[in-house]
Amino acid sequence: MTVDGKDYAKQFRRAFSLGREFVWAGAFVVLVTVISLAIEPFTGYLSIALLYLLLVVAAGLKFRRVPVLTLAAVSALLWNFLFIPPHLTLYIHSVHDAMMFAMFFIVALAMGHLTTRLGRSQFLERQREQRTAALYELAHQAAFAPELDAGLRAVVAHIESIVDAKAALVLRLPDHSLGKIAHPASSFALSEKEQSVAAWAFSRRTPAGRFTDTLPDSEALHLPLQARTAVMGVLSVMPAKDHAFDISERELLEAFAVLIGLLLEKDHIAAAVQRAEILETSERLRRAILDTVSHELKTPLVAVQAGLSALEQQTKNDHAQNETVGEIKIAVRRLSRVISNLLEMTRIEAGVVRPKLDWSDVEEVVEGAVELAGDALSRHKLTVNIKENLAMVKLDHLLIEQSLANLLVNAASWSEPGTTITVSADVSGGELQLIVSDQGPGIPQEEIAHVFEKFYRGAQARPGGTGLGLSIVDGFVRAHGGSVRAANRPEGGAEFQIRLPVETLNENDLELDA
Amino acid sequence: MSDKATAIVIDDEAQIRKLLRIVLEERGYHVVEAETGKSGLVEIATRRPDVVLLDLGLPDMDGVAVLKRLREWSHVPVLILSVREAAEQKVAALNAGADDYVTKPFDATELLARLRAIQRRAPDGEETAYFQTGHLAIDFSGRIVTVNGRDVKLTATEYGLLRVLALNAGKVVTHSHLLREVWGPNATEQSQYLRVYMNHLRKKIELPRSEPKLLKTESGIGYRLMLAEEK
Repeated sequence: MTVDGKDYAKQFRRAFSLGREFVWAGAFVVLVTVISLAIEPFTGYLSIALLYLLLVVAAGLKFRRVPVLTLAAVSALLWNFLFIPPHLTLYIHSVHDAMMFAMFFIVALAMGHLTTRLGRSQFLERQREQRTAALYELAHQAAFAPELDAGLRAVVAHIESIVDAKAALVLRLPDHSLGKIAHPASSFALSEKEQSVAAWAFSRRTPAGRFTDTLPDSEALHLPLQARTAVMGVLSVMPAKDHAFDISERELLEAFAVLIGLLLEKDHIAAAVQRAEILETSERLRRAILDTVSHELKTPLVAVQAGLSALEQQTKNDHAQNETVGEIKIAVRRLSRVISNLLEMTRIEAGVVRPKLDWSDVEEVVEGAVELAGDALSRHKLTVNIKENLAMVKLDHLLIEQSLANLLVNAASWSEPGTTITVSADVSGGELQLIVSDQGPGIPQEEIAHVFEKFYRGAQARPGGTGLGLSIVDGFVRAHGGSVRAANRPEGGAEFQIRLPVETLNENDLELDA
Repeated sequence: MSDKATAIVIDDEAQIRKLLRIVLEERGYHVVEAETGKSGLVEIATRRPDVVLLDLGLPDMDGVAVLKRLREWSHVPVLILSVREAAEQKVAALNAGADDYVTKPFDATELLARLRAIQRRAPDGEETAYFQTGHLAIDFSGRIVTVNGRDVKLTATEYGLLRVLALNAGKVVTHSHLLREVWGPNATEQSQYLRVYMNHLRKKIELPRSEPKLLKTESGIGYRLMLAEEK
């Protein structure tokens, strides 16, 4: 109801200002007539016509068309009535005067017409300027609004104050479809029909509804909020009764639509950036905590191990003491391995394992893994099968080396001393395969599916393991985009296979010196 | 060097410092301890040590920053103490002028061998014309490489690599150091070439089935040409 009241007020104001122009025009005519009457005896009646023309031109610059044309006609008649002889009649005696009157009439109307047109175009120019300024002002306001809602409310209020219409916003949902409910900043609710027109505008990315070629019998004009990358929603504008948008208003509305689109996009991007920042901060934090915990757990162990190795030197000649030191050393090494495993597992679970790829020689990786497995392999025979001239592969040397070492240690702990452990490596079709097989008892069928689970330990497991070695392999290899699987070999023993997608490079593709 | 060699230990963990002191003093070193990077730099400047043991995880200064400051005015051999996971950190420290590293937990024998290797480095400018370790011998003046007395033909690049490794024998040489020395300053991203040539070099100078090997891969860091006595 309040909106209707506003409409009446607007109409009233318009009618009132027109009436005022008539009053002013009348007053000026009276004034000029009085002056003319005073000076006519000295100047003659022909000069008076010029005075009236001057008045028409002046009025044309200031007033609207209807008052000016009326003024022109009244001036012509007054001139005739009061000044052209015979006085106080509309009758004109001489042919000469009749021609003068006719010409005066035509010139006054033409002047009135031309000058009002000039005035009108000046008015439009001013209006355009105002709108540009408004748009600029709005862009500024909206872009710096602390919250999106405040920005949108400002835009809607602006639209309503500049064009004679109500505005509604329907925004894109997170799943990239158009919402059903208008944004709270809107000043009218969309009917079901208007909603479907809005949806059309959204999906086709073109304006639709009233004043367009698509569904022109709708009540509102629907403009897609086109941003740089996507359509962020729809601006629906419902014009006041029997108000048609002219070209400049259409252009203005389209400019608003772009502005709102960019505003929404800005907000969208800002939110995404914030999310990324939060993620990054939490990852940094996790890393920092892990580093601290790792340092605190390992430092005392380092001290113990260094101390033991010093003690070992000192007790070289005392067999009993030396044996005791040896036992402590084994226990510490076991403790150290457990802690390392727990820390590696935590690292994997915290998602901070990021492979750093570099060109690697598969032979070097295998060699490194064997060295890392160290004493664990000392009581087994080791066979390494690597094809000659294997292509180089891009991988994280440390991760894969550690994975392979874990598989070797696992194989050694499940097979009898003296048996053979075999490592083979092959690169084909952009994939690196690393296979570790042993001559142990193999894996019970029901356990195969579980061997990579955290803390899972086989029923026959020997003491000393943590049940983490294979989970770490799985975690590292996955972080590297590959997979690891366990199987039993038909000829007996277990077999673990790592498959990694890798970039490969053949020696023949490089330019080497001879 | 009239009497004892001086070693400065820079580590924030008192226990580690103490243990290192025990191990080193037993081997005839005079040991000075420093708890922070800053005090470590002061000690080095005043005591003029023969060798420095530097922990990379110092509370006040990054170990790499300590090295950079140190290398502005001193050539004292520096041994890095670090954990296995910190490969990148170790590479950064080595490229900033550290001479070698030991991975925690280190054992005394390994630590002392490393210290001997980095202290053995010839004084500046003085280069030997002849090098030998195990079955490998290099005559730098004639560019002749022999394995068990037999001449081995190396390409220019292979010889270049071996030369750099031999001049730093016993010490780790980082990938980027090798690339820079052999291929020039702009080649530090060409790791694939390094892998290929090292592979070729190995085939030419390692004895089949010989254990331990002469050329050792330091995972994620570089290569080391082993000195015979370390076998």
